[in-house]
Amino acid sequence: MIEAKQLVKTFVGRGHIVRAVDHVSTQVAKGEVVVIIGPSGSGKSTFLRCLNGLEEFDDGQVIIDGIDLTGSKTNLNAVRREVGMVFQHFNLFPHKTVLENVTLAQRVVRKRKLAEANDKAMSLLTKVGIAEKANEYPSRLSGGQQQRVAIARALAMDPKVMLFDEPTSALDPEMVGEVLDVMKQLAREGMTMAVVTHEMGFAREVADRVIFMDAGRILEDAPPTEFFTAPKDPRAQVFLKQVL
Amino acid sequence: MPGKRHPAQWPWYGLLALLLLGMVIALWAATQRVHYSWHWDRVPQYFLYQDEVLQSTPVAGTVAQIAADGHDSRVEIAPADGGRPTTITVETDTLKVKVGDAVAEEDDIGAVQQWRIGPLTMGLWVTIWISFLSGFIGLVIGLITGLCRISKNPTLRGLAVFYIELIRGTPLLVQIFIFYFFIGTVLDLDRIVAGVAALALFVGAYTAEIIRAGIQSIPKGQTEAARSLGMSAAETMIYIVLPQAFKRVLPPLAGQFISLIKDSSLVSVIAITDLTKSGREIITSSFATFEIWFTVALLYLLVTSVLSQLLFWLERRFARSD
Repeated sequence: MIEAKQLVKTFVGRGHIVRAVDHVSTQVAKGEVVVIIGPSGSGKSTFLRCLNGLEEFDDGQVIIDGIDLTGSKTNLNAVRREVGMVFQHFNLFPHKTVLENVTLAQRVVRKRKLAEANDKAMSLLTKVGIAEKANEYPSRLSGGQQQRVAIARALAMDPKVMLFDEPTSALDPEMVGEVLDVMKQLAREGMTMAVVTHEMGFAREVADRVIFMDAGRILEDAPPTEFFTAPKDPRAQVFLKQVL
Repeated sequence: MPGKRHPAQWPWYGLLALLLLGMVIALWAATQRVHYSWHWDRVPQYFLYQDEVLQSTPVAGTVAQIAADGHDSRVEIAPADGGRPTTITVETDTLKVKVGDAVAEEDDIGAVQQWRIGPLTMGLWVTIWISFLSGFIGLVIGLITGLCRISKNPTLRGLAVFYIELIRGTPLLVQIFIFYFFIGTVLDLDRIVAGVAALALFVGAYTAEIIRAGIQSIPKGQTEAARSLGMSAAETMIYIVLPQAFKRVLPPLAGQFISLIKDSSLVSVIAITDLTKSGREIITSSFATFEIWFTVALLYLLVTSVLSQLLFWLERRFARSD
């Protein structure tokens, strides 16, 4: 479903070039849940953002459901509507109500009728357990509620893949659970997911594969049981010792 | 804080009232010094006045009958050629004919009083519509220029910067002269068109910078979220960025439009009869210099206050989602 080939992304900072993503190749199969972990600054978020073209990469290829993102005839907007994304800071539209947040892209991008979009939005909001807040503005919601709305907003486009960029990192500890529960449910329903997170419990419980990144490279790619019990890479061993 | 009382505010309000009163007294004393005789009674007629309009007979004939009707009189004239009689209504004290008088065509029968709009009202109206029209055009220009200013295309960006610097670096009065005397002559523009264009371009440059700042103040995450949902750059701008940016820039934008109303007084130099020019014209006939200028200032204050209240209300409405 997702395929990255020799992906390179560089930033120019303070005179020297930083390779945030350094020749990364991997793939995510349909229905697979891949969790990407690593120390901060390891390039995992940048890599994830390359997958829907939010970050322009310098070299390599990303193929989503058979479509090459860098292809000269590729309509990036058409690819993005098939790829849902959830951000660390939710990025809900503050001038729209919760319901409007979930219906806007359906109406504008998918050209759905208002009633259809509203039905879809309400069923998704019910699914993430926040239907009663449909007519509130995002500023009235807690962080966990906002993130669940953000998930509903992404799901409303009927994406084939969901990307999660540290979805619980900006949340108060007591709200992490409610967001992870929604993500677990999605995984059980067979959604293809790529998740950048620091939640090791989630990785262990839900992931099909765990990818460990450091300094822009994939250092280990293994099933969670294997990764958490016997990591091969020395840096992964150090990292796990620190976080567990 | 328990035990600590808030100091009373009323002595300060008292001081404020005292200071304002002092200013009024100083103003009065100043006019006493120059032996100015005030004639506020001359002012109202420049808003609205009654004009005597002479009424004449359309046909020649004789006055057949005069019937009183309150303050008016209905004069019936029987045409000389024996046609149907014509009735003319005039005010009784202006009546110039008696029953049996012979009248020729176009002879005055009397007069009626009619309310006319005075030059101050006309000038105020011109100021209002010129300001609003140029403000609206300026907003459109500012929006387009603001978007060009942050465009990735160097040509668009360069043009926007050039325009903004050109307008912001030269006095509005000079711009109005250039528009009227140079561009107006070359393109054969009406003075009103030249004036509105100069004001619109002036306010457009400032609005562009305000809008640019507003757009850039919206967090990048908003654009990213919209793009990740598959919205195009234009859709993101229209549905996500601009509504939020507009809300943020409303206060500085309001200030700009209030300035525009005041700056519009400069178009009086190219003989557009706005509020300021009306004021100047009235003074030449009324000699009530102080009163007229105070009145003109008060009228500007009135328009700007109404606008600022309106925008304040709009701002509060937008604040619903905060």
